[in-house]
Amino acid sequence: MLLSTHSQTVDDNYVLVASLDNVRNLSNILKAITFKDHAIFNATPNGLKVTVEDSKCLQANAFIQAEIFQEFTIKEDSVGFQINLTVLLDCLTIFGGSTVAGVTTALRMCYNGYGYPLTLFLEEGGVVTVCKINTQEPEEPIDFEFCSTNVTNKVILQSESLKEAFSELDMTSEVLQITMSPSQPYFRLSTFGNSGNAHYDYPKDSDMMELFQCSKTQTNRYRMSLLKPSTKALALSCKVSVRTDSRGFLSLQYLVRNDDGQICFVEYYCCPDEEAEEEY
Amino acid sequence: MKFRAKIIDVGCLNHFTRVVNTISKLTKTCILRLTPGNLYFVLSGKIASGGVSMWCELSQANFFDEYQLEGVAPEANEICLEVTPENLSRALRTAQNAKCVKIKLTKKHCPCLTFAAELPTLSSVSRVVTHDIPVDVIPRRLWHDFKEPSVPDFDVSIYLPPLKTMKNVVDRMKNLSNFLVIEANLNGEMNLKIETDLVSVTTHFKDLGNPPWGDDGSQGRSHSRDPELMAQTRVDIRKLQQFLMGQQVNPSKAMCNIVHKRIIHLILLHEDVSLQYFIPAVA
Amino acid sequence: HLPAMDCVVTGGNVKVLAKAIHSLSRIGDELYLEPEDDGLALRSVNSSRSAYACFLFSPLFFSRYTVPCGHAFRCKMAIKCVQAVFRSLSSLDKTVEKCHIELVGEKSRLTFTLHCKHGLMKTHNLSFQDSESLQAVFDKDSCSNVLRAQPRLLVDTVLHFPPALEEVSLSVSGERVLFRNYVEEEPAKAMLTELSLSSDEFEHFAVGAESSITFCLKELRGLLVFAESTGLPVSVHFDLPGSPVVLSVTDSVLEVNFVLATLSDDLNLRNHNNNPKRARSPPPADDFLNDDIDSYLIAMDTSELPGPSNAPAQRSNHRLEAQSPVANHRLESEEAEEEETGDTERPPNKKFRSLFFGSVCPTDSQLTNQTATSQEVLASDSEDDAQAASP
Repeated sequence: MLLSTHSQTVDDNYVLVASLDNVRNLSNILKAITFKDHAIFNATPNGLKVTVEDSKCLQANAFIQAEIFQEFTIKEDSVGFQINLTVLLDCLTIFGGSTVAGVTTALRMCYNGYGYPLTLFLEEGGVVTVCKINTQEPEEPIDFEFCSTNVTNKVILQSESLKEAFSELDMTSEVLQITMSPSQPYFRLSTFGNSGNAHYDYPKDSDMMELFQCSKTQTNRYRMSLLKPSTKALALSCKVSVRTDSRGFLSLQYLVRNDDGQICFVEYYCCPDEEAEEEY
Repeated sequence: MKFRAKIIDVGCLNHFTRVVNTISKLTKTCILRLTPGNLYFVLSGKIASGGVSMWCELSQANFFDEYQLEGVAPEANEICLEVTPENLSRALRTAQNAKCVKIKLTKKHCPCLTFAAELPTLSSVSRVVTHDIPVDVIPRRLWHDFKEPSVPDFDVSIYLPPLKTMKNVVDRMKNLSNFLVIEANLNGEMNLKIETDLVSVTTHFKDLGNPPWGDDGSQGRSHSRDPELMAQTRVDIRKLQQFLMGQQVNPSKAMCNIVHKRIIHLILLHEDVSLQYFIPAVA
Repeated sequence: HLPAMDCVVTGGNVKVLAKAIHSLSRIGDELYLEPEDDGLALRSVNSSRSAYACFLFSPLFFSRYTVPCGHAFRCKMAIKCVQAVFRSLSSLDKTVEKCHIELVGEKSRLTFTLHCKHGLMKTHNLSFQDSESLQAVFDKDSCSNVLRAQPRLLVDTVLHFPPALEEVSLSVSGERVLFRNYVEEEPAKAMLTELSLSSDEFEHFAVGAESSITFCLKELRGLLVFAESTGLPVSVHFDLPGSPVVLSVTDSVLEVNFVLATLSDDLNLRNHNNNPKRARSPPPADDFLNDDIDSYLIAMDTSELPGPSNAPAQRSNHRLEAQSPVANHRLESEEAEEEETGDTERPPNKKFRSLFFGSVCPTDSQLTNQTATSQEVLASDSEDDAQAASP
C-alpha cells in the first residue's frame, strides 16, 4: 500500500500510529475547536483527545474514539504532545477543503515520541503528501472540576434552533448572558450591546427542546469573545447539551456525526465572567 | 490603423470570455498584439511584474466571424496596444447572452477598444450596450520588447499533474510558506516542497510522463542525464498560485520545463489557445 | 405607560418590512420612524442631503396598528441596530411568524418581538433619540418626464455598470433611453459604458422633451434591492437637470419614494459634450464609423516621448478641459450646509444640489435661507407627501 511504503522508516520507532480512510473524520472535528494556534494532543488506548484553551477561562475538547480509526496502535498508556493546530489543519486538508463526490483522502499519522515531529502521510488519487510538523512538550490541561453531581440546570436542544441565535448574536455585547429557570423564560440567551439589549427565549415545551431539567433559576454571564468560537462546533453538531453547576460554570457538549455517521463529541467549558457578576 | 472584429457564435463568445478572464487574473496590464492571423496577450518579464512573463496566443479564426485589420504600415501589418484585461473582462461579462459582439479600435477622447453588444429583449428592438475601453498604442520602436519568447534550454521537461490538484496543494502550502520548490526528473516524477522552522511538506506526483522534444523523441541533450536526477527551482509561491488560480478550463496538454535553479516555463495548450508563463527562481 | 405605537406585522410582510429597512440603509445611517394615523413612515437621508427615501406603510399592511391619537411622535436611531433585528433575511419568511413592534416614548424604548418557529421568541429592545420630522419637499406629479418599468429591467441595466460606480446619467429622447456612466476625473483613464434601451421596454414612457439627468447609482441600487423582491413596477419622475429625480414603487398598502438630487446643468452638459456624436441619437447602424487613428500614431513615432504609458502632450487637445470649481452651481442651500457640524468627510457628490426639507419647527438659520424659489415649493400642500399618489 502506498502509505505504508513511505512510512517504513518510522514504523519501528513509533509510539502512536493512527490511520483513517477519510481524513475528514478528523479534520472536520478539529475545525470545531480551532480558535487558538496551539492544541494539546493526548492519546490513550481509548482514542484521541485534543484540547484548546483560552485565557484560563475557556477550554474546548474534541474526542475521537479509537473505533473511528481504521488503525489505532499505541505503545504506551498515554502519549501527549503540543502542536500548532492551524498548521496541522492545513496539512490534513492539503488536497483541498471541500468534498468531491466519491473522492476521499486517506491519512496515516505517526509519532515517534518526545522530541520527534508528528509525521502525516496523506494520499488522494495516487498522489502522496508527507508532512512533518514540529511538536512541543504538552502543558497540563486545566481541570474545570465540572462534575455531573454538581449540575444545577441542564437542557438538551436540537442544534438547528441554536445555530440561528448564535449566528445573530450582537457582537458589540461584551457578555453573553444565559438564564435557565424552571419558570419563564425557561432558557434565555441575552446580549447587551451598543444599540440596546436582545433576548432569545426557548420555551421548555418547544419541539426543539429534547430535555429540560432546571431546578433553580440561574443567570450567568460569560465573555462573548470566549464563547463565540463555539459557534463552529454548534454548526457541525446535531444536538447540544447546556449545563451549569452551582458555581455558574458552563458546560456545552456537542454531538457530532462524521461523514460515516459515527458519533464524536466536542465539549466547551467556560467560567462565568467575574466582573459582570459583581455589577449584577 | 484600423481594427474591427465580430463574434456571433455564443460558444466562441464564452470561450473568448474565459481566455480574457484568465489573462485578467494573471496580470493587471499587458500588451495586446493584433496580427491578421492571431491575437497575443503579452507580458514581458520586467521588475514591475516581478520577473514573470507571459505569452498567450489565440488564432483569430477560431473566435471571430469577422476580422479586419489594417496595421501600422504595410510591412508591419499589426497593431500593438497596452490594455487592462480586467476592463475587457468586464465588458465581455455584460455581453454574455448577446446576439452579437463587435470590437473595434476607435478614437474617442483617447484611443479605445470599443465593445458593442446587441442584447436580446422581449421587444422588437434590441438593447445595445457599448463599452469604450481606453488603451495605449505602443509605437513600433518598442515592439521588440514583445516578441515571442524562445523555449529556454531546460534540464527537465515534464507533463503537469491535474491543475486542480496542483492548485489545492499550492493553496494550502501558501498558508505555510512564502517559497516553494518545484522539482522533476525524466522518470515522470514531480515534487512540490515547502520547508519552514515549523513544518515541512512534500507532495509527490508520479507517472506524469515527459514530453518528447527534439527529433528523436527524447529530450535533446538530456540523453545522458540520470533519469532519477531532479532539476529544481525555488519560486515565490504567490506567483505559482496566481498562475493556477487563473485557469478556468482543463487544457488538452499542460507541461513544465525546468531550468535548474533559474526558471520554470509553464505551457498550457488548448484547442485554439496556447499560454506560456515564466516564473524566475528566487535565491 | 401608554405606547406611542403598537403594531403587529405577520407572515410575508415581515420580510417586506425587513427589506425596506435594508433598502433604507443604502441611503443613510439613521432611520427616522414616525407613526401617524394614516400609517407608519420610515425615512432616511444621506449626510449630504442629496438622497432621501421614505417608506409609508398604511395601517392595512399590519394585522394590528394602534397609534393613540394626539401623540405626534418622531424618533430616530442608528439603522444598523434595526437591521440587526432582521438578520438571516433569506430565511425570514420561513422562520418568523409575526413581529410585534411597540414604541414606548417615556421609556425611550422601541421593542421588536419576533415570534418564530418552534416557540422561539426573539426580543430586541432598542434605544432611540427624539427627532424632528424629516420630509423632503417634492412633487412628482409635476414632472414632465415619467418612465415606468418592471424592476427586472432596471436591475439588468445596472448590472452593466461596475458596483463601485458613483454616478450614472440617464437620457431620454424620442424612442430611446440611454444610461451612461458619469465620469468626473481623469476621463482618459476611465472605461465608458453606455446602455441603450428602446421605449418599448417600458410599461410607461412619457417624455416631455429630450432630457438628460445625472444622479447617484448607489441609491438607485438601494431601491432596486427592495423593488425586485416585490415585483412591483418602478416609476421614474424627472424634469430638468438640477431638479430631483423621484423613483417610486406603490401598491395598495405601501408607498415608497426615493428622491435623489441630480447634477445641475453645466456639469451635466460636460459629460455629454464628450460624446457629441452619440448624445440623443439612435444607436449606430451595422456599419462601423470609420475611426482612423493614424494621425495619432504618427505623432507618437516622431516625438521624443518617454514611453507608451505616458500620455503625450497632444492628447490634451482632444479632451475637454475640466470645468472650473463648482462654487457657482450650489444653490442657496449652500449656506445652510456650511452651518452643519463641520463635516470634513463630505461624500464625493457634494456638487449635487441639496434638497430642501420642510421642517415642522424650522430653526432660525433655515428661515433666513429660504428664498423665493423655495417658497414656491413649500407653498404646495405638504400633506401631498403622505397621501398615496394615484397611478
